[in-house]
Amino acid sequence: MPKQKNKKQNNTPDRKDRFSEAELSALMKAEFDASGALFSCKGDMDDRCNYCDSFLWFDKQHLFVVLAETQIGPVKSRKKRLEPKIEITETKTFPMEQVDKISCERYVSTGRLVFEKEGTPIYAIGFSMRLIEHFDRFARAFNSFKKTGVVDLPPENKKEKGVCKKCGAPCDPEKSYCKKHDRKTATAVRLFSFFGGYIPQVAVVLLIMVADSLVTVFVPQLSTRQLFDNVLSTENGAPAAEMFKALGVLVLSIFGIRLLNAFLSSFRQYIQGSIMPSVIYDIKVKIFKAMQRLSVGFYVSNQTGSLMNRVMRDANNIYWFFVDGVTGILINVATLIGVLTIMFIMSPKLSLIVLLLTPVIYAMLFFSEKLFRALHHKSWVYHSRVSSMVSDNIAGQRDIKAFAKEDDEYVRFEKVSGSFRKAELKLALTEATVFPIAEIAVLILSAFVLGMGGTMVAKNEITTGTLLSYMVYLTMLREPFDFLSWVSNWWSRCADSAQRVFEIVDSDAEITEKEDAVALDQISGEIEITDLDFEYEPARPIIKEFNLKIGAGQMLGIVGRTGAGKSTIANLIARLYDPKKGSIKLDGVDIRDLKFESLRKNIGIVSQDIYLFIGTVADNIRYAKPDASMDEVIAAAKAAHAHDFIMKLPDAYETRVGSGGQKLSGGEKQRISIARTIIQNPKILILDEATAAMDTETERNIQNSISALKSGRTTIAIAHRLSTLRDADYLAVIDGGTLVEYGTFDTLIRQKGEFYKQFKLQSEALKAAGILDDSAPQDIEEEE
Amino acid sequence: MATDTISPETLKTEYLRPDECVFYVSNAGFIGAEIKGVRYDRVLLKRALPFGAPEDYVCVSDIEKNEIGIIEHVSDFSEEQQTLIHKELTLRYFTPVISDIISIKEKMGHFYFDVKIGDVQKSFTVKDLSKNVRMHGENIDIIDIDGNRYRIEDLSAIATRARRKLEPYLY
Repeated sequence: MPKQKNKKQNNTPDRKDRFSEAELSALMKAEFDASGALFSCKGDMDDRCNYCDSFLWFDKQHLFVVLAETQIGPVKSRKKRLEPKIEITETKTFPMEQVDKISCERYVSTGRLVFEKEGTPIYAIGFSMRLIEHFDRFARAFNSFKKTGVVDLPPENKKEKGVCKKCGAPCDPEKSYCKKHDRKTATAVRLFSFFGGYIPQVAVVLLIMVADSLVTVFVPQLSTRQLFDNVLSTENGAPAAEMFKALGVLVLSIFGIRLLNAFLSSFRQYIQGSIMPSVIYDIKVKIFKAMQRLSVGFYVSNQTGSLMNRVMRDANNIYWFFVDGVTGILINVATLIGVLTIMFIMSPKLSLIVLLLTPVIYAMLFFSEKLFRALHHKSWVYHSRVSSMVSDNIAGQRDIKAFAKEDDEYVRFEKVSGSFRKAELKLALTEATVFPIAEIAVLILSAFVLGMGGTMVAKNEITTGTLLSYMVYLTMLREPFDFLSWVSNWWSRCADSAQRVFEIVDSDAEITEKEDAVALDQISGEIEITDLDFEYEPARPIIKEFNLKIGAGQMLGIVGRTGAGKSTIANLIARLYDPKKGSIKLDGVDIRDLKFESLRKNIGIVSQDIYLFIGTVADNIRYAKPDASMDEVIAAAKAAHAHDFIMKLPDAYETRVGSGGQKLSGGEKQRISIARTIIQNPKILILDEATAAMDTETERNIQNSISALKSGRTTIAIAHRLSTLRDADYLAVIDGGTLVEYGTFDTLIRQKGEFYKQFKLQSEALKAAGILDDSAPQDIEEEE
Repeated sequence: MATDTISPETLKTEYLRPDECVFYVSNAGFIGAEIKGVRYDRVLLKRALPFGAPEDYVCVSDIEKNEIGIIEHVSDFSEEQQTLIHKELTLRYFTPVISDIISIKEKMGHFYFDVKIGDVQKSFTVKDLSKNVRMHGENIDIIDIDGNRYRIEDLSAIATRARRKLEPYLY
């Protein structure tokens, strides 16, 4: 029966925050009935950040805080524990009217839940970072209850992160399982599933490998045993001609076997070579596809380098393990079994000695491998540090020279490089010590076998050929032992890589399209923002209770200090993130109910950070509309005042830009980006500090380009230079994520509020710099 | 411009002298202050150098996070005032001290720590030790996957096996 998805109710706490039977009964013993709680939360600290258990809940009349010490119950059986012993140490009860609001504060490595009455904090309880989302949700639940009389929380889209799927224990938010349940075998099974489409080829490869190993194992029987016992033996007194004939047959047989070996090996490599690139292609495509599905938030929280590694390095790690590692395991295991079997058949007595001594040698190899692994790791860490320093130094050469810090950099490098040298020396010295010890152990074993074997030959228990071939087999054991002692390390690295790959493949996109999403072909461009709350991280609100309406075809200017939340509003309108609370409606439809295509087709963003993709200028301009004709591309470039500079580039519209391509200035890139938006022809245009980094002349050119773009569209312009917003129908001033002023340019100037203050400051600065501003000074002077 | 010509006046840094500010703790346990005659019911303290010089350059701001001034050296204040400041900073920069490491296990690119903090046994996970283990003087600070911080004050008191695991990341 398929497992039913456990759909979480919006107004219920997370699984971790529901009280267990034992906890409820311990609370009941202390005369606290938490069974009727409207919302609950479990923490791990008291008000001074001492570790203890905390239970928080509220009902219609009271808010409760109970602190307790919990002793884990003794083990009852292999899988069960007895109930934990909960000892309540402190209780606090707040009548509802005593607490107006709860806020969740984020500290450096902890958080605190602060109870407030009339703006004054009256109590606080700590919690560790892992619980911040739970406590934030508790605060929201309480505040919504105080405001509306019901616990009304917005839908929790995200899956419960940082909790093991199997046992509920805390784990890395990016992982699905905890230490105990994060199994390499599960990863291996999943990895092997990529070979599902190539079962016949894989079967052939496996068969060839086994056959190849067996043939190899058979060679000493001919090359040594047969040669010494039958061909070169003088005991049977065969004539020289026959001996040469037998020798010829033997040599030809060995040659034939080796030829078969080589043929099987190249046939295996041929088949393997045709499977592996396809499997790696499948893995890479799967990662890349998963990455395209994920939301912007994922890319913000993961470094580009780390993601690149996942696509390229991790996929390659998997590739090499499967190409060399897996084949190596199979070949070596088959060789080991084959060799040991033959050795037992040849001489059970000698084999018993070998069998008794080889585990000692294997253990030596295994532990030395462990030691080397630690030393290699240490060396690798120092090596990475040296590499980072060199790359840092190269990238910062301009500043190093400008500050005359060459000598200091040299000293710094010498120190880091010295640590690397020390680590390498230690590794080399350990290798020089441990390897001979292992070699000596092998030599002792060989000497022992040779001595015993020699005695047996003397006693006619075995032939000379048997002893010599036995010695050959003994040396053949060395390679599988060596290989198998370090392959586990190799597999660990491959499993790590596979795990990282699956983390991306399994990640849930935070922004998803509803199944019944609506498609809007024609929109007028009216935007309505209601009670909007948003935060990138729990307990760090960026937008608070934000309300705004923009009429179709109007231009709204958004101003505010750095970090006030201006760009966040733009990101929310484009639905790059979803709000924590409230809604954004486009033509009366909540954007969460719209099809992605309808939304993104109708919203164009020109931002300060422009990215040009690898390709030609024309490719970049027609990015939003790949089928745009060249006429359209040129028209868009002209409208964006980009045509002239494009024609001056060596290959004009076919000049390659982006990484490794033609270097363009910020203003040039910006104009290409505007041309790209003109071709997209969106109904809503968001200009996010589009001219912030430009010089005055370029800004003027770009302003002209933008003016061409604005007509007939709803435009939201975010700008630092307030004079550029003179054309806006309305202006919204944001501070600390809330709307503090709203009105026309003239109204806000007359109001003499925050906008007026900023405008005056900027105008004075421009005057001082000798730059005339057409509009501002007169306005200000008149007002003065 | 030579460094010695940079004065607090030119940079308009407001340094708070012990004679012009008094810190106090409200009944609910929140720190407030009276600074240059202005009373702040609640102030926030933030270290400018949380690892290198945790007792110097402590920024004092109001509840809206507007900076009021900077305490250059906490040690300039009276003992009673220092205690109040320390208590608040300890709370804000809560970093439990690891008294013993029971084990550090590596699995699938994650390091699983089982440690003792006083009498309490704690487990936490650290990803990418080279970024999340930092050494400052004798102290080693470890940041786990959730952002919780832990400190080792005496590395020699820690078992050799655990120390060997941490060693490459200490510099």
